[in-house]
Amino acid sequence: MTLLGRDVVEVDALVTDRYLDSLLAAPDVASFTTGRGAGLGNAAGTAMRDSLAAAAAAGARLDRGVRLASERLTRDLPRFHPSFRFEERLAVRLAEAAAAMRLAAGAEGSVRLVPFPAPELPPGFDPLAPATGGDADDAVPFPRPLIIGGAMAASAISLAGAAWVAWRRSRTSGSAMARAARAAHALRRPVQG
Amino acid sequence: MARPVFRKSGAVHAAPRIAHLDHDRPLVDAARRDPARFEALYRRYVAPVYSFAYYELGNHHAAEDATARTFLAALASLERFEERARPDDGEGASTFKVWLFQIARNAIANERRTVRRHPASILDEATAAIIADPLNVEEDAVRRDEASAAWRAVGRLAGDRRRALVLRFVDELSTAEIAGVMGKSEGAVRVLLHRALRNVARDLGAREPANAETDALPDTPGPRDRRR
Repeated sequence: MTLLGRDVVEVDALVTDRYLDSLLAAPDVASFTTGRGAGLGNAAGTAMRDSLAAAAAAGARLDRGVRLASERLTRDLPRFHPSFRFEERLAVRLAEAAAAMRLAAGAEGSVRLVPFPAPELPPGFDPLAPATGGDADDAVPFPRPLIIGGAMAASAISLAGAAWVAWRRSRTSGSAMARAARAAHALRRPVQG
Repeated sequence: MARPVFRKSGAVHAAPRIAHLDHDRPLVDAARRDPARFEALYRRYVAPVYSFAYYELGNHHAAEDATARTFLAALASLERFEERARPDDGEGASTFKVWLFQIARNAIANERRTVRRHPASILDEATAAIIADPLNVEEDAVRRDEASAAWRAVGRLAGDRRRALVLRFVDELSTAEIAGVMGKSEGAVRVLLHRALRNVARDLGAREPANAETDALPDTPGPRDRRR
């Protein structure tokens, strides 16, 4: 333990963290490690000088292997980007989900259960008894309740989504969502009549 | 990075409470008013989330699935997102980005249950394909070797260390943000990162002299690969 009550590892970890803050804040790791750009007079040069000063303070106490590994990972670890096709396809899915949410929000409060009137039942009727003849569905005396608002919303979700995508596709806007709609449309196979 | 701001608390004698103004707040508010506006947040974070998923799963299809699940879940539960920054959380904690990466972490964990294999050869092929530049073969080969060595060194780390390192170096999250994503204290994340870097340093240092030979091998399984 140190005088400050921290483990040596914690102190080293704190120093490493400060160094990483400076390293990742630098415009690029090559100029950071070589000190190139520190003489610049613009804002980037000022930021670089600040980063170098902070790094010098932290790096002086930093383990050499940790410092080199940090620089190596900053420079060499690749960042991945999804394919444009995937990105646009997901954008369309999200837009459809968003349209569904808007519809659901709009339909909220208008959903109500409309039970059909119960038919006259014969005395001694057992709903669990097997049907004695004819079509099984015809034998069920209780039609299920119909959820009108919910049913309307559920069937309108895909219709609204399709209409929205078609509308966005037809617009000449260069926005990302319009591009996504056009890309999704381009992926559709023509329907053979 | 979130900016610290001061605001008065309800208590008369209480010290000023520090809240952290999330720089995504305007976009989050807009998306709450109109879900179609979620697109801006999606465009901002789709690559970092995908990158995180790809490092964790090592497979493009699995990473795409996890990314899709993350954003669909985030859109569906955006109403429940709360910006709950406390002074102890540190700057950047409990922002939308942290919340989104928490969802991503869960989505990746679910996806991992369905993806049983993590073959190193797939990782290397994918890395090579992405880094490759047909116009500069020689320099590209060196870069690919270096990237491959760094990739393998990170891939050999234990789960939490690898996760913390990827969030710090690839997604450039702050220590406070990583702590929020991983559900650990900032101090624990700092130690995790420090130990991970020491492991990587040892690994890269040990392999440096024989680099040309080891990297020429088509598939050299690391400890992580052998565990599976």
